[in-house]
Amino acid sequence: MSDQLEQPPAAIAGLGLTDVGKVYDRSATDLAAEAVRLAANDAGLAVSDLDGLLVSPGTQGAPKLSLQKVLGLRDLRLLAEINALGASPGVMIAHAAATIAMGGASAVACVFADTPLKPKGSGRDAFGTPRSGPRGFAGYHAGIGLVSPNLFYALAARRHFATYGTTSEQLGAIAVAQRAWAADNPAAQFREPISLAQHQESPLIADPLHLYDICLVSNGAAAVIVTSAERARDLAQPPVDILGWAQAHPGRVQHDDSDFGLRTGAADAGPRALRMAGVRVEDVDLLQLYDCYTYTVMVTLEDYGFCPKGEGGKFVAEGHLAPGGDLPCNTGGGQLSAFYLTGFTPLVEAVVQGRGQAGARQVDQRDVIMVSGNGGILEHHATLILSGAGR
Amino acid sequence: MTETPDAWPAIQRDTKSAPFFDAAARDELVIKRCTGCGQALPPEALVCTTCAGTALDWIPAEGSGTLLTWTTVHRAPNRAYTDLVPYTVGIVELSEGPWLYARVDTARPSPDLPLRAEFVHPGDGESYPVFTAAE
Ligand SMILES: [Zn+2]
Repeated sequence: MSDQLEQPPAAIAGLGLTDVGKVYDRSATDLAAEAVRLAANDAGLAVSDLDGLLVSPGTQGAPKLSLQKVLGLRDLRLLAEINALGASPGVMIAHAAATIAMGGASAVACVFADTPLKPKGSGRDAFGTPRSGPRGFAGYHAGIGLVSPNLFYALAARRHFATYGTTSEQLGAIAVAQRAWAADNPAAQFREPISLAQHQESPLIADPLHLYDICLVSNGAAAVIVTSAERARDLAQPPVDILGWAQAHPGRVQHDDSDFGLRTGAADAGPRALRMAGVRVEDVDLLQLYDCYTYTVMVTLEDYGFCPKGEGGKFVAEGHLAPGGDLPCNTGGGQLSAFYLTGFTPLVEAVVQGRGQAGARQVDQRDVIMVSGNGGILEHHATLILSGAGR
Repeated sequence: MTETPDAWPAIQRDTKSAPFFDAAARDELVIKRCTGCGQALPPEALVCTTCAGTALDWIPAEGSGTLLTWTTVHRAPNRAYTDLVPYTVGIVELSEGPWLYARVDTARPSPDLPLRAEFVHPGDGESYPVFTAAE
């Protein structure tokens, strides 16, 4: 028996993206409301046409369910907060698509907003931990200086380096390729090209991670509208069909049989999402991969099966991902160079490319677009298979 | 070894962590063990990741292990660590199997480096292990 769907149950029909970056004068709720209004308008719908709303809160706890009231939405048939950290968009889209396929709703907005950046604060303080920290084992972690996601991802990357011989120069190829893509993205925060030498010379933050291995921090919001694939064809934008999805939440094991740093939930979710879509990894035209760190891109490529386990470093150094390569990846610059709206960063670019609206950075092939989301310290994974073939 | 323990943020115990810090004050390392399946677990475990059992007890550990992975932190994650960088933290795979996040005080960290726990006793806050290269 095949898991393949006979026709796409749903499509992404609208996209809304607010100003992103050092946007200081707006609350996350305000930004989220704007993103939903932009997305509805983009789809050619009125906000009052929405009958579903899925809200993903940012690091500051907003937006919440109350976004319904802020938007003036009545008689919703689907409303929930969904939080799987960086995997949230994949979880929301799957939930919206399944609900639509079963007749439970017809037009669902999925939205995320966050405002971690404060005026005068630097990016690295935004997610930091104050000195008067928690008690117990959390306090022990603070007491030994283990307080930032950067450090945990450095530990993951180092284990991959030690096990497979992966190098910092190889990870640097990802940063260089994504900055090259960002040059043609007007929404990107950093568009000046960088060289591999500049990556190597950028400050070591927590070795082996250099500054250019680490994502930006941004304020802003993004939303998409999910409708049936059929209805999407009557709306204002080229539809981006939702062909498949899967999640994997491996759970953290902290003893000798843990694969921390070596293998992630992507190895479980990726093949299942491809199977639902009825396609193979060889069929993927375009990748939008969650890139909180260059390392995350590399390990996700291995786990999805684009190269054998352990050869991700070698693979990314071969140039597949860069402009002109045979496997375009993070074509807007990603979280490393464009902006950081967690899982919405890869999703937004997937929609723009799927529609054929990416301007100078538009890729030719967009029938199968694979999108990843990653949450926590490699603890939550969501995969989406999208298609721009219905244009 | 570890020069100025009082430069580090003081650690405050809670009820669940008290046996770990009491042991560290005696220069001893303790870990958890699942009474259901026998899986050895890290000190902070509240549930067994093998059988999902919640009946865990404390057992003594040798205080030895190997270096699984590490990072040397060059840029302070926040202002509390400005005067402490560079410092090295890692995951120690204890001889009994569990992983322990710990400070690693060795000039040349390397994969599988044999380590031993020593204990720091700050004037303010709880005692805790720091791992150094085994002789
Ligand atoms: Zn057990």
